[in-house]
Amino acid sequence: MIEIVAAPPYLTIQDQGRPGHRAEGVPGGGAIDTWGHAVANAVVGNPANAAALEWGLSGGRIRWRRRGVFALAGAQVEATLDGEPVAMHRSQRAEAGSELVINRFLGGRFVYVAFSGGIDVPLVLGSRSTYLAARFGGLEGRMVRAGDRLPVGDPGEPAVAGFAVPAELMPRYDSAEAGVVTGPQAGLFSAETWHVLTDTVFGIDAASDRMGYRLVGPPIEHAGDAALPSAPVCAGAVQIPAGGRPIVLMADGPTVGGYPVIAVVCSTDLPVVAQRRPGESLRFRVMTVEASQSAFRRRAVAIHTLAHLARTRETG
Amino acid sequence: MSDSGVAAPTFTPLADSALTITLGDRADAAMSARVRMVAAAVRAAALPPVRDIASGYAVVTVWYDALHTSYETMVRTLEPIVNEAAAVAPGADAPVGREHEIPVRYDGPDLDEVARRTGLSVADVVARHTGRVYTVYFLGFVPGWAYLGDLDPSLVVPRRTEPRPRVPAGSVAIAGAQTGVYPYAIPGGWHLIGRTSAELFDPMRDPPAVFAAGDRVRFVRVAE
Repeated sequence: MIEIVAAPPYLTIQDQGRPGHRAEGVPGGGAIDTWGHAVANAVVGNPANAAALEWGLSGGRIRWRRRGVFALAGAQVEATLDGEPVAMHRSQRAEAGSELVINRFLGGRFVYVAFSGGIDVPLVLGSRSTYLAARFGGLEGRMVRAGDRLPVGDPGEPAVAGFAVPAELMPRYDSAEAGVVTGPQAGLFSAETWHVLTDTVFGIDAASDRMGYRLVGPPIEHAGDAALPSAPVCAGAVQIPAGGRPIVLMADGPTVGGYPVIAVVCSTDLPVVAQRRPGESLRFRVMTVEASQSAFRRRAVAIHTLAHLARTRETG
Repeated sequence: MSDSGVAAPTFTPLADSALTITLGDRADAAMSARVRMVAAAVRAAALPPVRDIASGYAVVTVWYDALHTSYETMVRTLEPIVNEAAAVAPGADAPVGREHEIPVRYDGPDLDEVARRTGLSVADVVARHTGRVYTVYFLGFVPGWAYLGDLDPSLVVPRRTEPRPRVPAGSVAIAGAQTGVYPYAIPGGWHLIGRTSAELFDPMRDPPAVFAAGDRVRFVRVAE
């Protein structure tokens, strides 16, 4: 059991998502940065799909009511455990009464706090992820607040403290470049428009959240109707609404859309987009489906390798 | 594409973990039946890599596990299943949905404006909205949201120029040739003509959504 002593404005419980219900309108959901989330879990010996805290925007405090092992990954934060500095990407032991203080964010938007054993909230439609728009999953479908107590599952085998992620398996967000595959309506856009998409350094708009990130840049024009017959869309879809300002759909985005989708961000690069802050830049680079799927498999192997290292105590 | 809007199904990738099967470019009842048959056939095939299936007006999208298969392999596997299902003329074989009656209080804030824009009386707007049985084309956007059509042509008005930042849950609304019910309080640009107490989505229920693609829905006027 852990207790939230002071909560940031954004704090939810997320696992790797809720697939299988899109035909009922339920988005895939789950961690907005699946990479940081999976790494935090791997470090503490959890399966990638264990529920962890997705902590955004600013600082706060957590107190342990029973000893446990935890790790931080995702956004770079300055944190202390009982006054001692806490390293990112390293499993640490907290005693009953220990306090983790996240002081401030140095880079990125969402930090994951994973606990060995995972946060043990009930499964809703097969997932522990919080879905704020429809108010279900996580803790009563809402933000976690100061005073909330969260049950932590039994890890079985006690997790190892002091395991650090080897440099080559660290999640990296510094590229500011995301690979995209051409989208279903790519044909509605001219070659010049494609150059606008791939040559522009876009900014991230402040109106960006788990539903979608709005991009700031020159308008993307297209030849077809601004509204098409609605069709399923996915996280990473780059929609071009009537005004030509791209929206990248994120984990809790709508399951269908009627705007042309010019491109779709590769799933391995969506975490890079997710961690961009308002005002920061983003560029797109076109990839083939094959290259995107290869990157997806390499990422899965890296996380599997990391989980194996963490379990076998071969610290990096 | 032929005059009927029906062509051989085409496959396009939706990034690295999904693909979209396009069955045509129309949004009508015949296309909807074809979409349901293709979606049902893909579901029935129970292919191990398939993670999720969702539909639109003229498309079916399939999510798959790209760790264990590739786009090319998925297309090769799906093509015969999809072609066979799409070749069947929609009719007697189309999966039959359930029927629903949704009680509505017709007191929405846009009811008068809809009457003004359509040149009908409020009573006529209500009569024409309740006078049809609507087909659930598919669900999507938010949990439990059903794309219902088609409206009586005299009720067709474009969506509001200024979407509301928050439409109350249970609002019964129209836009274009569509009608629908907001399952949650969300932003929306449709014209609100009434309210229902029906709970269209409950994640703890099985199935969680009241409506499913292919169901038929009738709105019934109830007193204040």
